[in-house]
Amino acid sequence: MIEVEHLTKRFRSATAVDDLSFSVPRGRITGFLGPNGAGKTTTLRVLLGLALPTSGRASVAGKRYRELEAPLKTVGAVLEASNYHPARTGRNHLRVLAAAAGIANARVDLVLAKVELSDAARRRVGGYSLGMRQRLSVAAALLGEPELLVLDEPANGLDPEGIRWLRNFLRSFADGGGTVFVSSHVLAEVSQLADEVVIIHRGKLVAHQPVVELIAQAAGATRVRSPRAAALLERLRAAGIDAEADGERLAVHAPPERVGDLAAEAGIPLHELVADTGSLEEAFLELTAEPQA
Amino acid sequence: MSALRAELLKAVTTRLLLWFGLGLLAFLLLVLSIHIGSEDPGVLGELSRQRSTFAFGGIAAIVAVLIGAILVTAEYAHGTINQSFLAVPVRLRLLVAKLGGALLVVFVLAVLADAATLVISELWYSGRGLSLHLGRDTLAPFLGAVGASLLAAGIGVGIGALFRRQTGAVVAILLWLLIGEGVISAAGDAARYAPGHALAAVVAAHSHGSADMLGVWPAAIVGILYVAVFCGAGFLLVIGSDVPGSGD
Repeated sequence: MIEVEHLTKRFRSATAVDDLSFSVPRGRITGFLGPNGAGKTTTLRVLLGLALPTSGRASVAGKRYRELEAPLKTVGAVLEASNYHPARTGRNHLRVLAAAAGIANARVDLVLAKVELSDAARRRVGGYSLGMRQRLSVAAALLGEPELLVLDEPANGLDPEGIRWLRNFLRSFADGGGTVFVSSHVLAEVSQLADEVVIIHRGKLVAHQPVVELIAQAAGATRVRSPRAAALLERLRAAGIDAEADGERLAVHAPPERVGDLAAEAGIPLHELVADTGSLEEAFLELTAEPQA
Repeated sequence: MSALRAELLKAVTTRLLLWFGLGLLAFLLLVLSIHIGSEDPGVLGELSRQRSTFAFGGIAAIVAVLIGAILVTAEYAHGTINQSFLAVPVRLRLLVAKLGGALLVVFVLAVLADAATLVISELWYSGRGLSLHLGRDTLAPFLGAVGASLLAAGIGVGIGALFRRQTGAVVAILLWLLIGEGVISAAGDAARYAPGHALAAVVAAHSHGSADMLGVWPAAIVGILYVAVFCGAGFLLVIGSDVPGSGD
């Protein structure tokens, strides 16, 4: 659905995106992660035709954004929440976009109802809360009934209720066959929501894989506590398993089942056997860690 | 057409035009009242005086250049330009729609300014026991005011696209009108080709020029050239650059 091919974007001497390539499959939720300044927003802006690439290409359904015949009917984008004329009502804001995209006015009221903003539709956007503005952004993205949603940090500034609303909404959009590409730095949100993630750092791709795989890779050692830790360590090493000891405690680089079996065979009592589960946050921090000086 | 309709909708869904319209009306009321109220009745009866009175409708051109610039720069000021370009990603199409929208809006405003000028003048004249001569000799400035306003709106859109920052564009326009045009007057005959002078000549609508003012048609051509230059440069700049946004 989205193809980014050897994309590079430079601002004077700074390289924001550096030979970045990845693709986003249709019908899935793909998280787009990276530390601040990694180039996420720049990549999205190039994809949406708002920034011009220095080299390379970013396309939606095989076409550059500006080449799409009906852009709002193909891609719904949620950018910064502050992009509103404060004196214009929420409804009028959507009417303007609908008029520009040749979308019937009837859709305006439909999408306002969908994001639960009907009651505030005739109020000026200047009086909206951040959460309401974010919902209005989502409504704008839905105007053309697109098959792809591109969202840049949509959870920014939202309260827990708003975040839950957004999560449920995106999930239901994807369940209906839609494709979602969402940049975020709220890793817990992405891990709950996304099927796969694209992680970039300093403008370069560092990972692109399913969330479950990434979390599995980040899984830590098995923590073991035994009154006969030294004997267990010897037994583990004899079995070719890497482990470190600290008094009664061991950190073993093997699944807990294997450790438990070996201990049982050797008659070594265990007082604790815990698998350190990984998280997206750990994987992210590991992948985007700065090298030690 | 859909982009043009959206631009018109943008213009009428904020209070920008209302405030500009009311301000223009109040200013016309003030200057016409001073102009007609303080003049000798004998002088007011002269056709040339009535013609110059009707030319006050040309003040709409000053408002028009500001409206043209603000219709572009307000989108950048509020960040709505991002969503505008998402809806109409071919940038030239959006900019041309903005130009078309500005021309339509300003056309209505200029006609209203002409109507207000006529009504205020009629009220003052009848109040002073005089009658207006409404003929080809005196009414030409009304058409001139509309023409100059359209040209000014086009220049304003071009300036807005060049600057993109609202304060910068408005300050530059006001500085030029208040200081630049005055300074350039010292250049002698060449000053007739300055934007303000040329538009003033369109408003005056004299068929033949003079040492300090072009005739109406040469002035109109000069005005069109200014529109082409400002819009050409501004549009090229917008098309060839990134749309401002925040984030990484």
